Amino acid sequence: MKRFGNWAVFLATVMAVASVGISALADPAPGAAPAAAGGAALSAPASAQGSGTPAAPAAGHAAQSGYLGSEACVVCHENYDKTIEATKHGFKGNALAPASKQGCESCHGPGEAHSQDPANVKPIQLDKVAADVANGQCQQCHNRGEHALWDGSQHENRNVKCIDCHSVHSAEGPTLMRAKTQQLTCSRCHQTITNKQQRFSHMPVREGKMTCASCHNVHGSVNVKLLRVGTTVDQSCTSCHTDKRGPFLWEHAPVVDSCTTCHDSHGSNNDRMLQAKLPFLCQRCHVTSRHPPTVYEGFTLQNSGNANKMYGKACANCHQQVHGSNHPNGKFFLR
Amino acid sequence: MRNTLVVTVAALLLAPAGLAQAQTPPTKPAPPDVPTQGFADVGARFGSDDGDEARFERYRDLRPGATTLLEWTKNTDRYRFNAAATNIGYRDQRYAAEYYSGKVRFSGVFDSIPLNYFYDANSFWTTDDQGRFTLPADIRLGVQGPTNATNDGSAVGVPCAPGGPPATCNASTAASATANRSIYANTGLFPQTQDIQVRRDIIGGNFRYMRSPAFALTLDASTTSKTGQMPWAASYAFNNANELVLPLDQRNNELRANSEWVNNRGMVRLDYWGSYFTNDIQTLTWDNPIRATDFNNGLLPPNGPYDPSGYSNGNGPALGQAALWPSNNLNSVGSTGMFKFTPRTTVNANLTYTFMRQNESLLPWTLNTSINNPVVLDEFPGLRQLPRASSEAAVNSTNWLVNFSSRELRWVTIQARYRYNDHHNKTPHFDGREYVRFDAVPEEFVDDPATPYLEGFSEYFQIKRHNLDANGTFGLKAFGSVRVGYANERYDREGRGFSDVNENTLRLAYDARLFNYVSVRASLDNGRRRGDGYILSEIDYEEGPAGTQPGLRYFDEADRNRTRSMLVFSANPLDQVGVFLQFTTTRDTFLGDESIPEGREHFGLLSQDINAWAVGVDYSLNDRVQFGVNYGWDKFAATQKSRNANPPPDPTWTDPARNWFLDNTEKVNTVLAYADVLGLMQSKADLRIGYEMNDSDNNFNYYGPRIESLSAAGQFIPLPNVVNDWRRFTVDFKYYVSRAVGLGVGYWYENFDVTDWNTLDADPNNFTGGGPVGFYPSTGTPRIDWLGGLMTGYGNRPYSGGRVFARMLYRF
Repeated sequence: MKRFGNWAVFLATVMAVASVGISALADPAPGAAPAAAGGAALSAPASAQGSGTPAAPAAGHAAQSGYLGSEACVVCHENYDKTIEATKHGFKGNALAPASKQGCESCHGPGEAHSQDPANVKPIQLDKVAADVANGQCQQCHNRGEHALWDGSQHENRNVKCIDCHSVHSAEGPTLMRAKTQQLTCSRCHQTITNKQQRFSHMPVREGKMTCASCHNVHGSVNVKLLRVGTTVDQSCTSCHTDKRGPFLWEHAPVVDSCTTCHDSHGSNNDRMLQAKLPFLCQRCHVTSRHPPTVYEGFTLQNSGNANKMYGKACANCHQQVHGSNHPNGKFFLR
Repeated sequence: MRNTLVVTVAALLLAPAGLAQAQTPPTKPAPPDVPTQGFADVGARFGSDDGDEARFERYRDLRPGATTLLEWTKNTDRYRFNAAATNIGYRDQRYAAEYYSGKVRFSGVFDSIPLNYFYDANSFWTTDDQGRFTLPADIRLGVQGPTNATNDGSAVGVPCAPGGPPATCNASTAASATANRSIYANTGLFPQTQDIQVRRDIIGGNFRYMRSPAFALTLDASTTSKTGQMPWAASYAFNNANELVLPLDQRNNELRANSEWVNNRGMVRLDYWGSYFTNDIQTLTWDNPIRATDFNNGLLPPNGPYDPSGYSNGNGPALGQAALWPSNNLNSVGSTGMFKFTPRTTVNANLTYTFMRQNESLLPWTLNTSINNPVVLDEFPGLRQLPRASSEAAVNSTNWLVNFSSRELRWVTIQARYRYNDHHNKTPHFDGREYVRFDAVPEEFVDDPATPYLEGFSEYFQIKRHNLDANGTFGLKAFGSVRVGYANERYDREGRGFSDVNENTLRLAYDARLFNYVSVRASLDNGRRRGDGYILSEIDYEEGPAGTQPGLRYFDEADRNRTRSMLVFSANPLDQVGVFLQFTTTRDTFLGDESIPEGREHFGLLSQDINAWAVGVDYSLNDRVQFGVNYGWDKFAATQKSRNANPPPDPTWTDPARNWFLDNTEKVNTVLAYADVLGLMQSKADLRIGYEMNDSDNNFNYYGPRIESLSAAGQFIPLPNVVNDWRRFTVDFKYYVSRAVGLGVGYWYENFDVTDWNTLDADPNNFTGGGPVGFYPSTGTPRIDWLGGLMTGYGNRPYSGGRVFARMLYRF
């Protein structure tokens, strides 16, 4: 901890003081429950749900009007309550969990009308209502942390539903994901991206040391491309590759712009996940005089001292500090 | 297996099993199995491999021995606790635990992630593991030559005639370079064989306190060490490539904190992120393999005492020094807010300030005594002392973001997003007008009064990014929705060719779920990017910035027309069958612009096309028998244009006959297949089989007048394709003797074939005729002394390996 500077101590203190202050002002009245953020239909006919007609928010406990309690639901929908018992939704110790609120009706709306006319009055069926209605049910509680910036995010824009990736009742993977792994979940729409993990130069995703969510927050972020950390591509990458973060005495322009100018972080069949093979990747920009625009081909490779611009690290055999140099002679990233 | 049977049996075998791409048919939930609190999967791993074992292991530790997966869960009404350990005692071991009650959550993790580069690396250098690399003086003297002191030109590696003008000091010939290295290869000095592998050890902890449903405080702290070695280039000249096994000793400490307040109308969050990176090896000092003494020809500047061509032929110092990654830190504070005007109209926003600092001491200009002497320093007074003692590097960054989303009307949804990011580099410009190239030659930038900037001073790149994205989505009732969007991305830069770049993109998208079993997502984007304010646009210049052809446009800022399209189609025509098709394409055309001088040509990357298809099918015979296959095909094609020329006023600078083009085309095939047969043998056994394949064929097609002239002179040989072929087969069988006790056997085979001219020939007996593997067959033994190089042998090499996992399963 000694390596943390005064910054950390100061800001942590400010944060703690601010938090306590805010919380003191923010505590809701005892017993109050969050309202339905999405304003979803609660007991409307199925046809109305399909059109996403808004209705009154859910509130109160099972004893409130229209709520029957989970015990009534499982009379017909047997075993459904069991499927959430071991999940965080089933943990009564969490005031936000359905188990500590109206149980099934926390997400599906009050069931009294449905119980009286099961054929014509349906509870909220998240797979049948509009995306914003379905998501609104989840956002009653999932409106903070990871999910704070869901509204307006790229996936929300495309009417993706929470249940497209997650399943509360029959999850196969972690965090209630439908598929067994996060990569498989993402591949449902991004298979052409996740296929890149099979290339020989790749992040340790297929080895289980990273997931798509290591870099991306699919629920919304302040960065581009739903990147989880930082406010630029570079800040995201250098949150792990901190040695490349700099700032350096001598900078390389594309490095400052974006790591993805040269690297394909999803996987590549070039060394170091480069977008193209060296020296050709460098030659896309370096059309100067002398050796950078030389035609590097087989004759050179077999017969010339210039072969060292092609084998091994190619251009980086000399320009090793291509991410930036802190040496006084570092203008050309040689030292 | 790797993370022992977890990340292999769980990730490898289970992963293919989860290939299901299409919507999984809704199934009635089954009652949970007998609740278990613990699970142990322990056993032994054994097997063999051939070839590049490090690449086989890559991010894993596959050494024969024990495999471990332990999991334990405790659920009560008051708290929940879970813990897991995998691959205990190995380089990829992982431990995690979490305690969770209604108000408090603790979690901790220790995770090791290896990165294995190469296990058979060879190096003549010895190291103290602190960045100092030495070579035997007698060997270096042997290369340098006994007559070096007088530089009579007879010594190998000293092709510059004594006292001759710089023009005669050409790059070393292939023969001399080869001869140099042959001394090392034949001297009897055996290279040390060592492993090149680095490992990250991450220790992290998380604490979350939820005082009420409305308020939470979260703290995250982690420390990550990165230790080991990596292959590192450390060359003394353009024709003398050297590679070292560089030791690493780095650590990053992080603290994140946020407090959050939420109610049913809004949310406010305060964030802090601090990251402190420390590198304990910041200086690399290494012996020159072809010099035992600093080159000194006894002449006066500009002809000596250094070799003016030393940066090219290697006649430089005996000792070089390079700066490795400097310690640095980042601090960031931010605030995020969300407010619901109505349940269907939301605005959220974020404001973040980030501060990055780096102020490490600077190394001296050089250790070369032929430069650090009064005669030379009189000629290059800027080299007497450093302009400043430390880097004083600083960047401040401001980021703010506003999202607006409204769904008040059922037939239309409005969404808009604006993002602003200012990367402001505050580092004082560093005066490097006089500098030392490759520790060998002092040089000086001559100011050109025609240019508005001073060559030799450090450049810092200021970037202001503005992103606007606005979309309207129109509902088509049961037929889905159509989205129309507009995006504008504007870059205001300092230090790049174009000071401003503006891109407008129009977007059309369609999303639907049809007939309850078909899902369609499609989009088409069309963008036009244009640059403005080219920094030399008003000047009649011969050279572009940084000595480039004036018609070069860097592709990341050049004028560009972009078309992108995407299709995701999935369907469940039957309850048991899911099919999908995905397609994406990007077509970029990079254009010349009005600022290119008349008569000059546009150089650089001219175009790139990226096409990717994926199709697949999954079939579920029942809840216990599933199989599927997914095939992907990618094609990447790029065209670039260059000119092989000497600097002006050399006539080649403007000679179109020196132009050449390269079409680079890569085709990739990917196959993922799986079969899961569960509940065999009276529901006691599970069988899972997986197969994965990826191959690529990378072609390089040169053409243009320069290629024709080289061919006519017999100096052009087309490069062979670079070809990769990777396959993995996995099978796992589990049999439960009782509800609690079971046995498991797994097998995993992986094969990688590669033919890559980038990797040196492997046959030490093929010295004179040897070449890259693209031309001669590889034998698997690393070669380190090819033309002009003294390498470690690290490269793209084939491997094959298999592992058997036998273990016992216990549920409790």
